[in-house]
Amino acid sequence: MYTLLHAVLGYFFLTLMIRILARRPGAQMTPFEFVLVFLVGGVIILATVGDDHSITNCYGGVIAICLMHRLVGRLKQRSPRWADIIDGKPILLLQNGEWQTSSMKQAHVDDMDVMAAAREKGVRTLDDIKYAVLERNGGISIIKKKKS
Amino acid sequence: MPAMTETHPVEDSVPKVNDELAVGSDLEFQRRWESVEKTIWIFLIIFLLLSLLGFFGRGPMAKVTAKAADGSMEVDYERFERFSTPSVLTVRLSPSAIHNGKVEFWVGENLVKPLGNQRVIPQPDKSQVGNGGVLYTFPASEGQASIEFQTQPSKIGKTELKMRVPGYSELDLNIYVFP
Repeated sequence: MYTLLHAVLGYFFLTLMIRILARRPGAQMTPFEFVLVFLVGGVIILATVGDDHSITNCYGGVIAICLMHRLVGRLKQRSPRWADIIDGKPILLLQNGEWQTSSMKQAHVDDMDVMAAAREKGVRTLDDIKYAVLERNGGISIIKKKKS
Repeated sequence: MPAMTETHPVEDSVPKVNDELAVGSDLEFQRRWESVEKTIWIFLIIFLLLSLLGFFGRGPMAKVTAKAADGSMEVDYERFERFSTPSVLTVRLSPSAIHNGKVEFWVGENLVKPLGNQRVIPQPDKSQVGNGGVLYTFPASEGQASIEFQTQPSKIGKTELKMRVPGYSELDLNIYVFP
């Protein structure tokens, strides 16, 4: 009983914490984010299952978390407003040769992060980027300039 | 007949940047969310500071000493405890409480449940249940006597704990157990 309640609370608490992290662990995971994911996961599991390590308890917790995930997914689908609150919106980081400084500051992303994403697309320099967008999954999308 | 798939026409529903890139970014939303984030962080930092100080247990503000009105005992305890987390309650009895090589101490049943008494140190000679509590009898020599109760709360919320040395004034403690 407690595990189910703790799992539901833990789900919403972690969702909130990840949401307000600004630089969220996602597609752009660096060792810095790995530390966060492992430590947070390890700490929250202690509060979720408590002293009861039985299969019944742990599987119950997993089912409760999956159910919450499904319900939140449905909520996001039905209400774009909720989708924005839970997932956020894409953030424009670079536009036509200009850094969007305040957006980058808010998202805790710097030029090295953008360039790392650009290299994955085969882009050699920042000058070749027309748009860089921080996506809702934490990844950075790069749109190249058209060759004239 | 093959099953029909539900369809609807593609609309230009994602706002564009410079009329050419469908991103769906929203500066106004970003600004509002930033202020929401800041507010939440302020609350979280306040929570963390209060937690460090011990307002949610395990810190300097949680540990207190209470004294019976007639000075028959002093109790060191945590007024803020945490659910299922071990805690220690130490009772120091004044020499006047010792009679004929023994000391009696009565504590309310809330010590057993919900505060979850796990262990009493030293072992009492006798423990007698009744009258809404437990009456312990300990062997004692002259001088101050200390008794330690190791607890592990099993219920969240406020708990009142009464205790006394029979014949002396009663001490009431309020203990708050956090999740």
